[in-house]
Amino acid sequence: MGFSIEASVKNVKTGVKKVREIHLSGLGEKLKAAAALFPDPRDVKLPKNKEEAKKFAHDFWCGKPHGERRLGELYCDKTGLYKHREWRGVKDTFYYFHMIWLYNYANMVMDIVKFGSPVTFVKGLWRYRWMGQTYLPVLHWFDRGLEGLRGEALRASAWHYRAMTCVTINQFMNMFEADGKLRNGAHNDAWHHAMAHKETVWGGIFYPWMDRFKHIPLEMVPYFVTCHVNNHTVLNYIDAVQSIGLPGDPCPMCQAEAGLFVLDDVPDYAPFLITSNEACDGSVASTAIQDWFWDRPLFAMPQPMQFDDPLVQEHCANEIRDCWKFIEEQTGVPFNWELLKENLEKQNELMRFEWEKWDVAAKTANYPINGVAQALYRIYQSQYGEHFIWHEVDKKVSKIMTKCVEKKIDTFPKTRHRVIAWSCSPLYYSNWCTWAYNCWGLNTVINMDSLMFDMEVRTDTLDNCVMDMARYHEWAPMRRMAVGGMHHIFELWDYMERFHCDMVMMYDQLQCKGMQGVVGLFEDEFRKRNIHAIWMPHALPDKRTVSRAEIRRIINDYMTTVMKEEPLDPSLLEFDDDMSW
Amino acid sequence: MSVKKKILKAALRKEAKRIKKAARRRHCGIGCRVLRLFGKLIALLATVYAALFAVFFFDLDGKLLYYVVEPLLVRHYDRMERKNPLEMPYEMKSE
Ligand code: SF4
Repeated sequence: MGFSIEASVKNVKTGVKKVREIHLSGLGEKLKAAAALFPDPRDVKLPKNKEEAKKFAHDFWCGKPHGERRLGELYCDKTGLYKHREWRGVKDTFYYFHMIWLYNYANMVMDIVKFGSPVTFVKGLWRYRWMGQTYLPVLHWFDRGLEGLRGEALRASAWHYRAMTCVTINQFMNMFEADGKLRNGAHNDAWHHAMAHKETVWGGIFYPWMDRFKHIPLEMVPYFVTCHVNNHTVLNYIDAVQSIGLPGDPCPMCQAEAGLFVLDDVPDYAPFLITSNEACDGSVASTAIQDWFWDRPLFAMPQPMQFDDPLVQEHCANEIRDCWKFIEEQTGVPFNWELLKENLEKQNELMRFEWEKWDVAAKTANYPINGVAQALYRIYQSQYGEHFIWHEVDKKVSKIMTKCVEKKIDTFPKTRHRVIAWSCSPLYYSNWCTWAYNCWGLNTVINMDSLMFDMEVRTDTLDNCVMDMARYHEWAPMRRMAVGGMHHIFELWDYMERFHCDMVMMYDQLQCKGMQGVVGLFEDEFRKRNIHAIWMPHALPDKRTVSRAEIRRIINDYMTTVMKEEPLDPSLLEFDDDMSW
Repeated sequence: MSVKKKILKAALRKEAKRIKKAARRRHCGIGCRVLRLFGKLIALLATVYAALFAVFFFDLDGKLLYYVVEPLLVRHYDRMERKNPLEMPYEMKSE
């Protein structure tokens, strides 16, 4: 074959052209992908006549009415990010912008300064995965829970989120301020004044030392909060514990809690630890690993699984007394009854307001809190215990609720069914109820998580007080109405009546052996009582077992085939948010 | 009018404007200056407000966190050296 300069030049030119084509087409793809993250200006339909112009102006000013919103079209594919955030009309959009988005971003910074130092915060963020991955997308967690809300419902629900964010920041800042790992192993004064406990040990146990010590749940932020805000994080911990030999079928909550230790991702923030057997024996197993890996004085405070027997009450109260003795020994600071009383009374105040809320939710259509805000706020507040922010927020919510009742504002006007959600909920999709209302008009009025701690604690004498504290502690999350015996699990029927619900969203935690055991009994009861119930399978924090899209598909199927209803917003029927936070 | 003349006229107009402005500035009192500063401040705040609203409305905070910040942090966490807790024998448990 002969050599020709022309041919070579031609070849080079063709090569360059091809490379450029490939390069440009790659760039084109990237640009296309980037453009898909934003709204397409061609989708904006400008009005063509006077009627359309009027409607356009009305939608701009008041927001589109439910049914015309097409919220599903706002999502970017897979990520659940928004091409643009929802336009809720001028008033509500700017309320969201000022009082939710700006206000909460600003307060996230202010809270850090209030509860510690920004330097410590940055160190903690750099050190702990659950911190960095979770703290930043907090506002997206607000967005997901508050989608489609308007007016007073938007305002009251958002205040609940604000309170949870504040308590979360307070907790992790307390952890970091005391953390030996951020200080090359040195233990400072904050470390000596911190008390660690499992997240299922009620914060009220530590009230007698509240003036000088901080009680910080071990897993409430690193595990529980992260699942709601950014569910990617927890998968690392589940995989970590399985990588050292744990089979995949135990409860993923306990797996994740143990996995935090396997990945050495728990701050060294307190000299001792209080544990319990709540909610179930899964928790005992994770405690065994925590005890091994954390290696410090530990007090186990088991509470009876079947707590209705009056004989166990005294035993249970004694467990609490022994725990107090242990704390006295560890801290050298005596038990303070006055302090306990003072804080319990403050907590009783919160309970009384919660009862008011339940009353409004049960008897009127004016309850301004949506399903996810109600559930998360109540379980967080009742489990963590006293904190100033709960009172501040309750005051604001009380004002909003009073306004709704006085003016008879129908806060969820598209309600087709009043739903009660029962058993343990999917943490990675706690905002399913926001979706269900927007898509189907399923209004989750109340849920099991809210109803567990349904009592005041007496503060007249120490004996009465401890007996009530034992009862309160026994009614811990998942204990009372999930694994705490038949009678309590079946309290569902009474609550359905009390809250005038006509439908049950029955959570089916596939790896919860306790609740799996009663599926058939529930099925029988639902049939006997002629109750519409949707079983929602899930694996608590792990979205890989049952995806969010699958949960939606199950609800869609029930609503179309059994209820024979049409969706309010068909754009929400199917979308891919698999990679979403 | 020829093109040259047009250009000349425009240049003259511009120059006159500049001179007028400079004279105004020279004769501007403290109140006038404060007002002008206030105007500038308002313009700056309005720009910041509009920019923040754009970030909010187009979910630019979410996009930045999702595509830039989180991958960087995850890369950092994945590469971190971690203590292997399994090296800690169970018998080591303190009394
Ligand atoms: S979900 Fe079930 S198995 Fe898991 S901790 Fe709760 S009660 Fe136990």
